[in-house]
Amino acid sequence: MGKTIMIVDDSASLRQVVAIALKGAGYDVVEAQNGQDALSKLDGKKINLIISDVNMPVMDGISMVKEVKKLPAYKFTPIIMLTTEGADDKKKEGQAAGAKAWIVKPFQPEQMLKAVSMLIAP
Amino acid sequence: MSMESALQTFYAEAEELLHNMEAALLRLEDGEADSETMNEIFRAAHTIKGSAGLFGLHAIVGFTHVVENLLDRARAGTVIIDTHLQGVLLRCRDHMAALVADVANGRDSTPDLLQSGDLLLRELMAYLEAPRSDAVAADASETEQAAAAAAQDDANIPPGRADTWHLSLRLGPDVLRNGMDPLSFIRFLGTLGEITQLVTLDDHLPDLESYDAETLYLAFEIDLRTDAGRAEIEDVFTFVRDDSDIRILPPYTKVEEYIQLIHSLPEGNQRLGEILIQSGALTRDSLERALTTQAIINQQEQKPQLLGEILAVQQAIPNEVVSAALERQKKSPERKPAAEARTIRVDAEKLDHLINLIGELVISRQRVDLLAAQTGSGPLLEAVAALGGFTEHIRDAALTLRMVQIGDTFQRFRRIVRDTAHELGKSIDLEISGAETELDRSMVEKLTDPLTHIVRNALDHGIESVETRRERGKSDTGTLRLSAYHDAGNIVIEISDDGGGLNVEKIRAKAVANGLIDPNLELSSYDLHQLIFHPGLSTAEKVTDLSGRGVGMDVVKRNIEALQGGIDIESTPGEGTLFRIRLPLTLAIIDGFHVAARNTQFIIPQTTVLECMDLASLPAVKGRNCVNLRGEPIPFIRLSDIFALAPAAFAVQDVREKLVVVQFGNERAGIVVEHLYGEVQTVVKPLSPIFQALKGVGGSSLLGSGDIAFILDIPQLIELAILREARQAAQAGRKQEQPL
Repeated sequence: MGKTIMIVDDSASLRQVVAIALKGAGYDVVEAQNGQDALSKLDGKKINLIISDVNMPVMDGISMVKEVKKLPAYKFTPIIMLTTEGADDKKKEGQAAGAKAWIVKPFQPEQMLKAVSMLIAP
Repeated sequence: MSMESALQTFYAEAEELLHNMEAALLRLEDGEADSETMNEIFRAAHTIKGSAGLFGLHAIVGFTHVVENLLDRARAGTVIIDTHLQGVLLRCRDHMAALVADVANGRDSTPDLLQSGDLLLRELMAYLEAPRSDAVAADASETEQAAAAAAQDDANIPPGRADTWHLSLRLGPDVLRNGMDPLSFIRFLGTLGEITQLVTLDDHLPDLESYDAETLYLAFEIDLRTDAGRAEIEDVFTFVRDDSDIRILPPYTKVEEYIQLIHSLPEGNQRLGEILIQSGALTRDSLERALTTQAIINQQEQKPQLLGEILAVQQAIPNEVVSAALERQKKSPERKPAAEARTIRVDAEKLDHLINLIGELVISRQRVDLLAAQTGSGPLLEAVAALGGFTEHIRDAALTLRMVQIGDTFQRFRRIVRDTAHELGKSIDLEISGAETELDRSMVEKLTDPLTHIVRNALDHGIESVETRRERGKSDTGTLRLSAYHDAGNIVIEISDDGGGLNVEKIRAKAVANGLIDPNLELSSYDLHQLIFHPGLSTAEKVTDLSGRGVGMDVVKRNIEALQGGIDIESTPGEGTLFRIRLPLTLAIIDGFHVAARNTQFIIPQTTVLECMDLASLPAVKGRNCVNLRGEPIPFIRLSDIFALAPAAFAVQDVREKLVVVQFGNERAGIVVEHLYGEVQTVVKPLSPIFQALKGVGGSSLLGSGDIAFILDIPQLIELAILREARQAAQAGRKQEQPL
């Protein structure tokens, strides 16, 4: 059974590219446009990994990670944060909140696939 | 889904983000420096950079990176955005838009553009405390910081004493293929000190069938006793660091960090735990304690879910109740109700196609109407009538899909007003009302140019300089007002200023000088105002680079008329000028009035029709193409005359001519036809380009009967009727003066 990855980002084009790359690698993809949207889309679904932007409208990535970690079903779902370079405080904050890894934006799809493959296999 | 469609999404997204960024920057200028505004500006740059990076658009990434950097600092408060920086940021936004546009249009950016980008970057650099250039510097600082953090970690190591480091090596699977032998790293590591323990993890070894000899499946856990520092150890792995997951734990690392390591690595907890115990990094006791605490915490936190699941399994409560309860648990208290508008992006072409199809549906329906009426079958007529109702609903619903609020168009003028006012040294406020008024998207695009022209004129010539305003006892700040509202199936857009108003004397003088009007002719101020729409009349004393010479208002008028609309002026000297543009809501489908003259079918747009009557029943003004309608003279034209229609092959009987009174703007005229058929819904098919110069005809339409009908261009016909009538009146006048 394929593994499902949720990509959370307010940029539709970024989501599309990430989705293309992930699907190409054999993962199923769920898209969400911000933290709140992501939480509402989790909803008992099988999600094996979450890739999330930090800076988003409505609910940012860090708040989302904190909320996700409160959900028993997703407590151990690994989360990769997408951050900007230099935003060390954000990385630390994300880590503290429970993110497993981060990828610095802008990134290439291959970089992301590598990070993903370190955490889960398709 | 393809990369190409993702790129299209990116262009649309970038445009929207840049639009928001501009609006936010302008809000900032109005003193709204709240954190949400700052965040919005930052996010635009951030998102564009992120997405552009994915598509490998380096020019955009490079430029946006610096902008983002600066905005990030501004957000944190370390850079203050002053008036000058606001200007720079607006120009940066424009530059980003230009870069995106170049990519979208598949052309290379001009050297000029790139150079202006460099200049902008230099200006930004001045604001970044320490001038540094782009990503390399940022990366460097990141590495520095990481190194500093690492140094702190290692600070509790007594210097110069050999101690045991723990290394977890997860070399990339391609390491062998890239010509690197893991063993050589381990050997080299041995030169730094003594490897006290090495465990090879073969958990990832596949079955023999799928085993690839060139792929590295092994992982290593190493204990190294050395007096070398972290940097030296890291250096060993320089060549593979990018592809590998290498974790180095210094001596005396806290137990928690080992536990974290265990959890973060893919192999089983117990297995790694054993290795660490063997290496002496952990005692069995501390490991077990750490792992069990974690387990207990997990269990506690999982309790609500477990309970829910058990209940559901036992069917004690309906599933929905459980999931609703779980849902509530998941919702955080700060979650706001979903007030966001749910929208989907649709390609405009698809919408146009849909509307076209619906147009055809409307026509087919009319044909069915006709055929059903011929059968005289009651039930069929009823069914057709119901179908007709739905068709109309579908048409209306489809048209609203293409409707957009005019607010976005208005907002764009904030920037123009700001920049123009700056340039002219004037102080001008923009007031917007009726932003939510909707009109067809295709109209919006064609409306931008004329609106821009009128706005620029108002800013440039309408609103006076601060000094003049003071002399006239007005406030220093001028006001430009943009408003929109719906009125009888039309959308009305008003552009007004509180400036000096049109100078009728100057217009008159100029018109006389250019030979447009007779010097002795008395004209009402309304007529004088209309003269500014005449080609070749510009009243600006000073030619600025904003509004050119003479070309302008006549083009504006033509553009508006091409949209089946009209434009009016109201102007009071010293108080200001108002331009009122009246447009139909959509150009695609109109309610028309079907008439015929000499067997040729015509459609008069329903919104222009006032009334119909028998021409013979009205008292005619002798010798003129004019009737007296309840005391008001109405000039008229015969369609058969102006289109030189051939008379019917055989006249069945003497046809009584009918007069259709139409109005556009403030003007009325009569159109003389021979048959009135009544209201129809018609789909406007634009005339092919070679016929577009035709006067009096705005388009064509297919009737339910299969005949073609021409859609009359009423504004032009009214103008023509008035013009002819005025000429005739003048001729009649001269005849009277010259006694025979």
